[in-house]
Amino acid sequence: MTTATANPASGRRDVSGVVDALLTRYGARAVTTRAIREQHSHGEGLADPALPDVVVYPRDNDEVAAIVRLCHAARVPVIAFGVGTSLEAHVAALEGGVTIDFAEMNRVLEVNVEDLDCRVQAGVTREQLNAELKGTGLFFPIDPGANATIGGMAATRASGTNAVRYGTMRENVMGLTVVTADGTPIHTGGRARKSSAGYDLTRLIVGSEGTLGIITEIQLRLYGLPESITAAVCQFPDLGSAVRTVIAAMQMSIPVARIELLDDVQMDACIRYSKLEGYEAKPTLFFEFHGTTAGTAEQAELMQQIASEHGGSAFAWTSAQEERNKLWKARHQAYYAALALKPGHQAFATDACVPISKLADCVLETRADVEREGMTAPIVGHVGDGNFHLVLLFDPKDPADRERAEGIARRCSARAIAMGGTCTGEHGIGVHKLDALVEEHGDAVKVMRAIKHALDPTNILNPGKTVPMHD
Amino acid sequence: MSDAIVDGWCARIRDCAAREAPVAIVGGGSKAFYGHRVDGETLDTREHAGIVDYEPTELVVTARAGTPLADLETALAAERQMLAFEPPHFAEGATLGGTVAAGLSGPRRPYSGAVRDLVLGIRVIDGHGRHLAFGGRVMKNVAGFDVSRLMTGAQGTLGVITEVSLKCLPRPAAETTRVFECPADDAIRRVNEWSGHPLPLSATCYVDGRLAVRLSGAAPAVEAAARKLGGDAMPDADTFWRSVRDHAHRFFERGSGEVLWRLSVKSTAPFTDFDGVQLVEWGGALRWVRGASPALDAARLRAFAASHGGHATLFRGGNGRDGIFHPLAPAVMTLHRSLKEAFDPVRVLNRGRMYAGF
Repeated sequence: MTTATANPASGRRDVSGVVDALLTRYGARAVTTRAIREQHSHGEGLADPALPDVVVYPRDNDEVAAIVRLCHAARVPVIAFGVGTSLEAHVAALEGGVTIDFAEMNRVLEVNVEDLDCRVQAGVTREQLNAELKGTGLFFPIDPGANATIGGMAATRASGTNAVRYGTMRENVMGLTVVTADGTPIHTGGRARKSSAGYDLTRLIVGSEGTLGIITEIQLRLYGLPESITAAVCQFPDLGSAVRTVIAAMQMSIPVARIELLDDVQMDACIRYSKLEGYEAKPTLFFEFHGTTAGTAEQAELMQQIASEHGGSAFAWTSAQEERNKLWKARHQAYYAALALKPGHQAFATDACVPISKLADCVLETRADVEREGMTAPIVGHVGDGNFHLVLLFDPKDPADRERAEGIARRCSARAIAMGGTCTGEHGIGVHKLDALVEEHGDAVKVMRAIKHALDPTNILNPGKTVPMHD
Repeated sequence: MSDAIVDGWCARIRDCAAREAPVAIVGGGSKAFYGHRVDGETLDTREHAGIVDYEPTELVVTARAGTPLADLETALAAERQMLAFEPPHFAEGATLGGTVAAGLSGPRRPYSGAVRDLVLGIRVIDGHGRHLAFGGRVMKNVAGFDVSRLMTGAQGTLGVITEVSLKCLPRPAAETTRVFECPADDAIRRVNEWSGHPLPLSATCYVDGRLAVRLSGAAPAVEAAARKLGGDAMPDADTFWRSVRDHAHRFFERGSGEVLWRLSVKSTAPFTDFDGVQLVEWGGALRWVRGASPALDAARLRAFAASHGGHATLFRGGNGRDGIFHPLAPAVMTLHRSLKEAFDPVRVLNRGRMYAGF
């Protein structure tokens, strides 16, 4: 793990001048209390707080631009903050500075039902958006679990359980309004299917973790609510059988919306936590199918056939919403079930993505590593994408325990890279995976650094994240 | 052998950068008409060809830039898979590298994704002559900036593409095309309405007063949708869609002095007569306009496209005096120049292909 070392005041000037100017200009919408600064000092990953000097709550693009111009002139870091659900210390103010909280930029600006798109301010959360879409027959499918803001999801290129069918933020952001490092608002992309003329700036900014520009508005693709949703669950004798079932389904082009894998450790935790009946502590797949009534029923049946060919058992499926929620309960409560395994412990979440044929091996080798270290770490996988998550439970009072967890996460990244995968499929680089990024990309990191330098020459946008600026 | 070719290209680009001598990247030349003419020493990607890795169970293929698109598609078809963005060939000899560099997608694009959505990883040589890898062969990757997508459609101005990993999809089990006679505005209204329903649409095309709608998927779903939509069955639909994809359809035959514009707009943009004939694809989102050069006014077409959330490109013909690609806002242009500078400071790669200077 890369330690979060600040670059002590190199070229940084007058933070206090910026703070004063913001207090004067924004009054109660600029806050310097310790409690608020602390709340903005970390995401949902490891706590390791790094406090900004001030938190400011702009209301529109012009205010964001004005704040960035102020920071640009004074070379003060500026960090965008949604609701703080990121996991790799993306929002930690490593060098202090100004945190822009988008809480007051939370309006759905337009919903174009006929065009299947909408435009939102960065502070709109995905649950809020879906609530506002009620009655339109449309929905926004990307679901990373947390009720993140759309701005944060775009900045981290979020995906989640629905990616198999609907893609990730990469495929679903049509355009952006971005405030550049010098405080200029620009528009990228548009409402047309094909991205805007010129380079694909939209996709460069999506996933740049606030280091290339501050996203203020997002144009999003929407989807028609499926006529029918069915859910299914199936247990397997071993991980390999579960993964082979998924591979067979993908080959047959069964349009599964979600395929989630819980390993036996996680299932054991879920059975106890959610008081499930009829399940064993065995690798388990959770499916969801979206489509027409006839289609989703057929898909579930086909899935059962494939699963049974691969040793699947206890197959259950339903189309009724209440029953669906019950079937998926274990998956929905997985994180809390994992935490409940070791009361008093904290979770250190990490993720990796490998070619699907390597998934079982990668998970099993990681499991062996966890056992060697005497740790507990349930595994949940978005198995259709070869992506899996490890929740390492460590004792926060024991530094050696945390080091063990960090070691396992580091080796998990290396293992995924060696298997032709990536050190992160969802969580991102943030602060924690800078070393892994270099391991994965080699010299290409130099070009990423050049991009960072080109778009943010004074390194004020979320400094210390995403790309290491020094060898 | 192939490594030696790439090493050779790296050395050449370093040498050209030292001499400030521009390099013109070429493949099969099938899209040479697209964009501004580039002068410079030719770098022919076709000597670096072949599929590097294809694992049908992974639904991922990795191939060298010079691989003929046709060869790649044949290899995928043998496993009943396909490139879901239905890449246009335009002419024989189109290469994978050129396809990704041009960033153009075919009829299936609105329903299965654009080329950039399906590019998982890419290898390029930058203007410093460094061979670099971005992304990889997995479906999800959030490690660092998304340079693979930036390269897609950058027309070789940011790097010479040497290798690409693409997501592929199983071929649909069944496919059928229905045809409807209707006026243009009615066609646009209908396809937009259908797009909001769970129908297995895979292409739409309105031309010559007829709307063609392709349905792809599992046989029962395709049959049910065909019954629901009505219309007449199109015989030999594959030939029709290939002709639309590759601009072999007679709509694309330009008379002397005629130009072809490509308007990318939101799908519900109203049908507008521009003193030319039109072919409408992508559920209304792509409008091809053909007509005589002075009558088709660049400013008018661009204003229309911009007011409907998109942009207009002078795709074929004309002298490009008004620019070929849609003008960029000044602040966006500044970012483009900065990016070009980051990848290719001496501006050796395909200089001027998109805009003045890059």
